[in-house]
Amino acid sequence: MTLIQSPADVFAAVQKVKAGASAFCTNFFPVESKLQGWIARQELSVEPAAGAVFIFRNDRDFRHLYFCAANPGALEQGMAALPDLKTMRLATDLVGKDSTLDPLLAALEKNGFRRHLRLQRLARIDRPETAGNGPAAGFAEKADCPAILELIESSFDRYGEQLPLPYEMEAAIAGRQALTVKRDDELAGMLFFETQGKASTVRFWAVAEKFRARGVGSALMHQYFQIHAAVKRFTLWVDARNENAIQKYRHYGYAPDGLIDHVLVNEMIPA
Amino acid sequence: MKSVVEILREIRPEFDFTASSDFIADGLLDSFDMVTLVAALDKNYGVSIPGTDIVPENFQNRQTIETLLRKCGAQL
Repeated sequence: MTLIQSPADVFAAVQKVKAGASAFCTNFFPVESKLQGWIARQELSVEPAAGAVFIFRNDRDFRHLYFCAANPGALEQGMAALPDLKTMRLATDLVGKDSTLDPLLAALEKNGFRRHLRLQRLARIDRPETAGNGPAAGFAEKADCPAILELIESSFDRYGEQLPLPYEMEAAIAGRQALTVKRDDELAGMLFFETQGKASTVRFWAVAEKFRARGVGSALMHQYFQIHAAVKRFTLWVDARNENAIQKYRHYGYAPDGLIDHVLVNEMIPA
Repeated sequence: MKSVVEILREIRPEFDFTASSDFIADGLLDSFDMVTLVAALDKNYGVSIPGTDIVPENFQNRQTIETLLRKCGAQL
């Protein structure tokens, strides 16, 4: 495995696989700024194989596994030859329409990965928002960072939901991408979002258990829509089993857009 | 053969791609859309857009996409 030193290393590795590929497939969709950040922090390494290339990203005590392959067969065979597959804690995912993912799921499952989580993308298209009556939500402050991270860690899945590390959360707060509601200086709830032009994604929306059913989540969501009046497309990913969360998002105009994210983990990660 | 704008509309029907000069900065395409778009362009125009060219500046607007396609040998 080789440490990735520049985006050019990634592009070159991908190009080797993509040239002449019969059914190119990948789960690697980084935005450029994130890719550069991962490389700068030496979090990415690459392992080439015949007809495929594998990219590993460090996260806490495990690694995310990304791939580019000429076709599902090359993915299966390339993965079988990976020396670190049996020794590393690995999580990977497959994004696409449900019906198109079966060959890739089979390739991963034949290599010892098991299904861990199924996320569903919801989208909300330009729906007018009415004002809420809940408590006031405001932008998070630097001092809120530890409490926000703790709430996220306790509310979401670490292998499947791309939980932020402290540096990422600090940058989000500095960039006014996190809203909070506080009660007596205690974090009652938070909403972390990423906005690019006319599109915005809710990364995490959570209310601390003891503050639930008090309008905290509603206040966060109303504030979020209020500061995004110019946005045309809102999206988010949610655990497909979490009916309660899906119902709440439906209340705000979100609906499934057909995109699914299957998260799989290898046998080094205990069930 | 579909035009670039028709392919873009299939991927993101809610946006008016003719009114934007920077699809990425305006949030009309995200990174997943870019990969979907590349696959659709490859198939529609019978080309293989190199991985080294899958960068935001080549997908900023219709003109940059068409320039990229011509470079890859597509007949527009």
